[in-house]
Amino acid sequence: MIMTEQGETGEAITILLVEDDAPTCWRLQDALVKAGYEVRSAGTLAEARQALSVGAPCVLLTDLRLPDGHGIELIRETRQCFPDTEIMVISALGDEESVISAITVGATGYLLKDAFPTDIATTVRDLVAGHSPISASIARFIVRRTQGAAQNSAEPPRGPALNTARLTPREIDILWGIAKGFSYAEIASHLGLSRQTVPGHIKNIYRKLEVHTRSEAVFEAVQQGLIKL
Amino acid sequence: MSELAAKAPTEAPAKPARRRLLASRLVPYLLLQALIVIATVLGLRLLQPSDPEDFALSGFALREDGLTRAVALPHFTSSRYALADPPFYTGAFTFRGGEAASGWSVFLPRFSNAVEVAVNGVVVLDSRRDANANRPDRNTPQIALIPTSLLREGGNEITVRLFVWGPLKGFLDTVYVGPDAALRPAYETRTLLFVTLPVVFSAWQAILAVILAIMWLMRRHEPVYGVLAAAMVLGVVQAFAPPPVPPATVSRLAAVLLASAPIESALIVVFGVLFFGWRWPRYGTLLFVPGVVVFVVGLIGGPPLPRILFLVLGIPTVGLCLFLMACVTATAVVRRQDAASFTIGCAVTIVLVCWIQDMLTVLEIATNDRIFVSRLSYSAMLVAIGAGLTWRFARALNQVDSFAGQLVTRVREAEERLKASFAREEERARAAALANERTRLMRDLHDGLGGQLVSIVALSERGNEGATITDAARAALKDLRLVIDSMDDIGGDLMLALGSWRERATAQLRPHDIALDWRVATPQGLPLHPELRPWHVIQIVRILDEAVTNAVKHAQARHVAVTIETRDGPQGPYGLISVTDDGSGFALAGNCEAAGAGQTARGLRNMRNRAARCGAVLDLSSDTSGTRVRLQLPQRFPDSDMAAG
Repeated sequence: MIMTEQGETGEAITILLVEDDAPTCWRLQDALVKAGYEVRSAGTLAEARQALSVGAPCVLLTDLRLPDGHGIELIRETRQCFPDTEIMVISALGDEESVISAITVGATGYLLKDAFPTDIATTVRDLVAGHSPISASIARFIVRRTQGAAQNSAEPPRGPALNTARLTPREIDILWGIAKGFSYAEIASHLGLSRQTVPGHIKNIYRKLEVHTRSEAVFEAVQQGLIKL
Repeated sequence: MSELAAKAPTEAPAKPARRRLLASRLVPYLLLQALIVIATVLGLRLLQPSDPEDFALSGFALREDGLTRAVALPHFTSSRYALADPPFYTGAFTFRGGEAASGWSVFLPRFSNAVEVAVNGVVVLDSRRDANANRPDRNTPQIALIPTSLLREGGNEITVRLFVWGPLKGFLDTVYVGPDAALRPAYETRTLLFVTLPVVFSAWQAILAVILAIMWLMRRHEPVYGVLAAAMVLGVVQAFAPPPVPPATVSRLAAVLLASAPIESALIVVFGVLFFGWRWPRYGTLLFVPGVVVFVVGLIGGPPLPRILFLVLGIPTVGLCLFLMACVTATAVVRRQDAASFTIGCAVTIVLVCWIQDMLTVLEIATNDRIFVSRLSYSAMLVAIGAGLTWRFARALNQVDSFAGQLVTRVREAEERLKASFAREEERARAAALANERTRLMRDLHDGLGGQLVSIVALSERGNEGATITDAARAALKDLRLVIDSMDDIGGDLMLALGSWRERATAQLRPHDIALDWRVATPQGLPLHPELRPWHVIQIVRILDEAVTNAVKHAQARHVAVTIETRDGPQGPYGLISVTDDGSGFALAGNCEAAGAGQTARGLRNMRNRAARCGAVLDLSSDTSGTRVRLQLPQRFPDSDMAAG
């Protein structure tokens, strides 16, 4: 029996899957269709743009390296045109380089290409429910960057540019907990929070790490003293 | 050899060459000094101030020791030590009141030691009031206005009492009586030459003394300045100490200070020797003996002993010193050929000539109205010395400048070299680090990923066993993530690495329906290890992976519990990680190596190897109720791979 996942409005949840490697695409598509999602797939940037022009999906899952461009562009465009669409990046390794750069343009999580089918479905369901997944290594990368900014180290840090100035101490504490492998429940009890509020905090963290426009990026850079006017 | 052979013949003609050099340098110098002698003698003749001969009175009647005789001025009287009944000169002059509107004066250009002048029986001048006028070494003139009421139209009488205190003979130069306007210019000229100029020179000497004393105080290792300062101070004291008029009770100290010229001149010789960079010979101290004798005897005996000793011992000593100084400068000129030695040499020659001239005067061989010029010419030497010192100072400053410039250049060069070598060193270190990292990465990839990929290839070639291929591929991916993950800088906090591992382990266990219980027993988790390196992290995570894999594959466990805690050991806190499963366990062979072929045994051996490489202690216990892997972390992770070889 196939269950159909439905959003709050009762409509089927549509997913646009952008992945150029056919077997991977099939694999992900199978897992998502089995979970009851309505999946459209695209193999190139052009196909993805065409699919977007038809209508906004609820969720965009995209690989970063595409034959005719970079997934980052697609994420940025989607974020601007369809702010309600949840965006996830598909990554083979879940390395910070690709995930963080996707986060800064509006992605709110990542999916490993080899994840088990049940995990794929669970991750997307959580995302639609407003729970942005975050891995320990991504959390680690972000908190290390906040430390680097605090130490004001001379050499520019490794990896993509990341603005951590707007994160609150509480959010940084949460990130530390995740980085050290604590569960949401453990983090919540350590920090005196309710277990349910932790995912919301994480979503906020993603939103704060997003750089919306070029001018805002410049403004943030000035605020952090990265650029001297 | 050839060098020695070449050197030997050059030794022999060295002496004649040196002699030639000596001659070529000394002869011109001596000729120059001869010229200076001539110039000095001529200069002294020109320096002789001219007096208004129209008003000269030279015919006098001298009453001395009860005898009266006619004498012509200038006139020497015998030396005497008593002031009572001094030589008494009586002369006459004619006054014509209508001639000049101004008053008449009496002008005495030179006398020794003091005079009392009376016109028509009334005293108009007594030089004893002016202490400096009585100094025999200064050629102080005196002038006195004759009150008009004293003068009679026609013949007038003038009397001069000459006070003499030995050992020098008394001397009275021609007396001039005439209109003040006619006599005054000659007086002014003599005052300028013999009174004002010495004072100016003495002031100059005082300033030089202060400067030199400061120099010496700041540069104690150069006694040359101290010696010269002492000489200058003595000279100033001589110039400004008031010379006593004999009947006055006078300090003996003042008397001997006035006779300190021999010490002063000896000091100048010392200065010369030191200035030209030679060692002061020990027997050179003898040069001070006459001066000290004059000083000590004078101090004990009191006047007139200092004066007598000064004449007998002091003056010749001064001459000897001047002669020595001339020799010293001549040697310096030959050796150094520099401006300072030339200047000082010429100045010494001038002083020496003046001293000889004064000697001739004292011995009445030369008649020059008894004008002493030694003291005055001494100032010429001062000028020379001042110039020499300034020259030396300027040269030293130049040397310092050029040295500083060289230093700056050298420091810059050294800095450049250092920078280059530092950059090279850094580059080398970076290359070495890169090579190390590459080696490590290769080994890590080979350990895990390589084997797994090979296994995938092998499985694929057999054409079936899809599930096994999947497992192998997943393991390969997991390992690749581990290697990538370990490259991240975790700042010595192993907890950050374990956090990622938890995610991977959870994902690995989920399909097998095995729950992962994660328990951090102590709040901070594990102690911080600043020395922690990526390869440590990889070894530890692989040990944990192996434990979890064993639980899944061989033990049929339902729960895997990971406990992380910090314990206090005798040498401080250490970390402890335990992985416990509730599986069926396995039989631990007594000797893992001997147990051999089994996959579990190989896994166990690997775990132990990895633990040993990190300096950690692996403790493994297994029975039917489950398996427990206990990894005790070291207090300090080893720098080098202990089992790498």
